[in-house]
Amino acid sequence: MSSSENTASLYSQKSWRDHLNAFGPVIGLVVVYGIFLLVAPSSFHSLYNTKTFMTQAVIYGIGAMGMTFVIISGGIDLSVGSLIALGSVVTAMILRTAGAEEIGLMLPILASLSAVVACALCGMLSGALVSYMRIVPFIVTLGMMQITRGVAKGLAGQTAVNTSDNWLGSMMVIEPQVGKWYSVAPGLWVMVVLLIFMTILLRRTAFGRYVCALGSNEATARLCGINVSIQRIWVYTLCGALTGCASVMQYASLSLGDPTAAVGMELDIIAAVVIGGGSLNGGEGSVAGSLVGAIIMAILRNGCVLVGIPNYVQNIVIGTIIVAAVGIDRLRHKSN
Amino acid sequence: MKRLMAWMIMMGLVFTGCGNEAPDTNDSVKGDGASADESLTLAVIPKGTSHDFWKSIHAGAVKASQELGVEIIWTGPEKEDDRQQQIQVVQSFVSRGVDAIVIAPLDNVALARPVETAVQRNIPVVIIDSGLESEAHSSFVATDNKEGGRLGARRLAEVLGNKGKVILLRYAEGSASTENREAGFLEEIAKHGEIEVISSNQYAGATKESALQASQNLLNKFPDVEGIFCPNESSAFGMLRALQSAGKAGQVKFVGFDTSEALVTGLKDGEINGLVSQDPFDMGYLGVKTAVAVIKGETVEANIATRLEMITPENLNNPDIQELVKPDLDKWLK
Repeated sequence: MSSSENTASLYSQKSWRDHLNAFGPVIGLVVVYGIFLLVAPSSFHSLYNTKTFMTQAVIYGIGAMGMTFVIISGGIDLSVGSLIALGSVVTAMILRTAGAEEIGLMLPILASLSAVVACALCGMLSGALVSYMRIVPFIVTLGMMQITRGVAKGLAGQTAVNTSDNWLGSMMVIEPQVGKWYSVAPGLWVMVVLLIFMTILLRRTAFGRYVCALGSNEATARLCGINVSIQRIWVYTLCGALTGCASVMQYASLSLGDPTAAVGMELDIIAAVVIGGGSLNGGEGSVAGSLVGAIIMAILRNGCVLVGIPNYVQNIVIGTIIVAAVGIDRLRHKSN
Repeated sequence: MKRLMAWMIMMGLVFTGCGNEAPDTNDSVKGDGASADESLTLAVIPKGTSHDFWKSIHAGAVKASQELGVEIIWTGPEKEDDRQQQIQVVQSFVSRGVDAIVIAPLDNVALARPVETAVQRNIPVVIIDSGLESEAHSSFVATDNKEGGRLGARRLAEVLGNKGKVILLRYAEGSASTENREAGFLEEIAKHGEIEVISSNQYAGATKESALQASQNLLNKFPDVEGIFCPNESSAFGMLRALQSAGKAGQVKFVGFDTSEALVTGLKDGEINGLVSQDPFDMGYLGVKTAVAVIKGETVEANIATRLEMITPENLNNPDIQELVKPDLDKWLK
């Protein structure tokens, strides 16, 4: 692939083709949804079910936003699943310092921030190792995956960390006010707010342009005066921080800190980014696309359960879609 | 443009495949006893689908569904430690709007909220196998696990001649059923003064593979162990393999919990001295029956205990025990 072309296209005005490409994942979403409309029971298109799969997409979606930046920068982060477990354990452990009645408003905020900071620091460490030790990201984050999983299990004392009821634990309730059409999981709003911020960060700031430049052609980026090492560390830190947000949602969804949660979730998240148009060669991808990728996967899981398709068929379907999405990406590059 | 077309074609391909398949591969079973209840649909959600134990529950559930003329849908998470996926399965069935849910919760805390949500939306829930820290469900159909643990302890004490060093290999964190068995075992074994528990803090983990590794490590650490108790099928299997590979099978007294083909073979070969056996078939059967009774507005017991049996090499060939060991699953699960 010619990376200079990619760089050029990122800076030039978008052509109609680019706009169409950006809709690829959305079309995929519509097609997947449409097919389930035909084969699934009528409850599939109920508002409540839509809320259900959207809520189920929150953890993957927020994780995929962070992963988008890493993948656009030409890297990869395999430690995301373990970080989600670590963050959920950190959240639960801080919440457990107070008794059931005294948790109040502030402690859950403190707990969430701690999880975000802890995960961001892990991300920063990965970034620093990639930048300064010159180890490829795959290996660094593969190591971090094991290390952070171990830390999570150690912190939690090898068992799930139970907490008393608190408002954070209600963030992922599908319909907090039963029967009200406008009532959705607060976690969903968090995802929407993050989507807006991250899209602006990627498309409208210098940092976002550095990330794209880094992934398109690192040598050129360096020659243009970008401090590649520092920018890369920020990318991994940002990914860590977003993963921290996802981990808080993981806590909310289980209402306990589970050190064995999200095993292998990094691969689902990478798949969501790839389905959403991210290229593992770097330089390409969008936050919204990745989110759509995450939603497609959530619909697949939800729809397959509703239709009554056994697990193994779900695996085959999801695997096929991942390969298909990348295959189509290749085709597109050829035609360009 | 090409991408767009390709997307649509690929999606189409993937899904026509899966759409056509759906009616035959979905595990829903329609009862042939046609009646007014035929429109009832129940979701039965196991902890996993790979263990033989769950297949027996499935068979029992199918039997009940055929007798009562209701439809059941059988779906569970792939891994027995994937709490998140089980929650999602419950949520999906709630939004699908089934008439009742029969579930073996993977975690006594994490599944509480999804179950409460189901009950809020007027879907009664019957819990089977493992407990749930909630008041929302209608009934709890399960083995008296503590009693099962005691049964295992008594058998181990008997074959050890009331003295020796024993190991308890625990199953996994947060699983109420096995924690109760472990507690029952420790409680009963403590009554046999000359038996010393040299290890009771190791966990087998959710898979047979992790159980094997934990067992090997334990056997290396305690070469002088004389008796072992494992609280479920996968941990017992891992321990059996570890004993075999260490050349200690048959020398160390070993009592397991639950049955599978491999474990029963071990019993026949004298490598296992006893298997506490639940009746999963009965559990699946009673779970569905109870759920249907709840839908019909009948009052049901809050706790329903299912059958427990100690299987030993001596009583293995009794017809009664054979039925427990080798239920005719094919009859129910095509």
